[in-house]
Amino acid sequence: MSAEPNNVGGPIIAGTPLARMLDDYPVPALPADFADRVVAAAASRSEAAPLPLLRRSGSDRDSSSGRRGRRGWRMGRRIVIGVAGFGVLATAAAATGLLESFDIPVPTPQKVWASLTGAPPAASAIPATSLPRDPAPGALSPVVIDGPIDTPEELAEVFRRIDSVREGRVATRRQMVDKRIDDALERRRAAGLAVPSAEEEARLRQRIDEARARRDRSTSENIAIRREALSRKVESGVPLTREEVLRTLRDDKTLAEQRQRRDQWRQMSPQERREALGALPPEERRALIEAWRERRGVSAPATPEPLPAYPATTPSPDNSAAVPAGDPDQQ
Amino acid sequence: MTGHGDPSPAANRSAETGVDAVLAARMADRDPAALREVIAAYGAGLHRIAYRMTGDAHEAEDIVQETMLRLWDHAPRLAARHPADTAAAAGLRLPGWLKRVATNLAIDRLRLARRVSGDEIPEHADDAPLADALIEAGQRIDTARALVAALPERQRAAIVLTYYEELPNVEAAAVMDMNIKAFESLLLRARAGLRSAFASGMQGDAA
Repeated sequence: MSAEPNNVGGPIIAGTPLARMLDDYPVPALPADFADRVVAAAASRSEAAPLPLLRRSGSDRDSSSGRRGRRGWRMGRRIVIGVAGFGVLATAAAATGLLESFDIPVPTPQKVWASLTGAPPAASAIPATSLPRDPAPGALSPVVIDGPIDTPEELAEVFRRIDSVREGRVATRRQMVDKRIDDALERRRAAGLAVPSAEEEARLRQRIDEARARRDRSTSENIAIRREALSRKVESGVPLTREEVLRTLRDDKTLAEQRQRRDQWRQMSPQERREALGALPPEERRALIEAWRERRGVSAPATPEPLPAYPATTPSPDNSAAVPAGDPDQQ
Repeated sequence: MTGHGDPSPAANRSAETGVDAVLAARMADRDPAALREVIAAYGAGLHRIAYRMTGDAHEAEDIVQETMLRLWDHAPRLAARHPADTAAAAGLRLPGWLKRVATNLAIDRLRLARRVSGDEIPEHADDAPLADALIEAGQRIDTARALVAALPERQRAAIVLTYYEELPNVEAAAVMDMNIKAFESLLLRARAGLRSAFASGMQGDAA
């Protein structure tokens, strides 16, 4: 008695034990009055009962419009569910700010409506929290210098134009930073995350303002030094070209290096920063700390402590005292 | 099972001559004699399918009766789609239509019973004194019924249609409203399940 183990899914061959077992399944005959019962039931039947639902959509042999309709509705329902699900996920992602974190712009409803209707969005419909507008659009036009600059008046006019552009850019940048902070706080509030208290927020903004003031002071000092040099050139009769006046910070190799180094420091965690500082040669480390003290207006200790030898693996706690946890080269 | 599984000669004849279309037209005119003819021609085959699907004679009778009544109800629509005196009459094959309805009704009832009771195989306890031969025959029948009933509903239908009714795979697939590949896959699993259950039963007996 075997169960045809070598042909598990094949046809059941007559005469095998399984076939003999299956064949022992006789069917009783229908009752003699079965037809009478059915005819009587049919005679008393008034309304047509619906056909049982088909288990699957299969071949179209019968060309049944009803079946086609059901299949079409089934497919349509899947499409509707898919589209609705995608819409819900996209809306949730936009509402939680997820798309913005991937630099995917999310248009406001006003912009969408304007693109549909072709009409410009109403001024009143623009929310107060939209991107800040340039406070002095006219000042943002590029500065044009015709010919060489060889008189103090022309140079002063150039400085005035540059200042107007710079002020506009600084104001725009500050508004964008403020809006980013407000948006971040609003998103955290909407997501139910912890947000800083009013006192903490005030302290944070105060620190930002102080950092701005330090940066402005430093920048103004650099600009003043540079302008003084330019003025001396013009007064001595040396004409200046446009490129000489508009030399950007990016073109200054020293400044570019400083910026690159500053960015590297900023990307480090406080612990990494301490370790990196300890790995520097003593002279470079000392110069860095002095520069930081100078920018922060922190006076050096009356009796300078000997700089500890910073092992790469065990940062000294003195390091954190000498260099606060903040960026040593933040500005 | 050749005796039970012969594809009805009446079915082939009806397809060629349009007899089914004539019957449908007569039922559409509410002729009870036409319904009786259909019951006489196809009732036994439907009863075999329903009985082997459900394992219960009363359920099987109910399914056949319900199938015939569905045909009675839909006869006007079938007659309109396949007029008796046109070429479309040959397209009406009542046996296939009836088997499809009966199989689906049986699957519906099995699923409903499973949801309601959770029992797969009805137990038939009989305390009356019987002869040993009857007991042995009953045990064999119960074993065969248990083998078939252990399969899921759709696999059970595949075995009933192809093994007991000896339908070609294409026709059985059409009855179950499946494409042929899917049906063959289903049939493969059904046969494997049967053999596995049979082997388990044999091992249990040996133990």
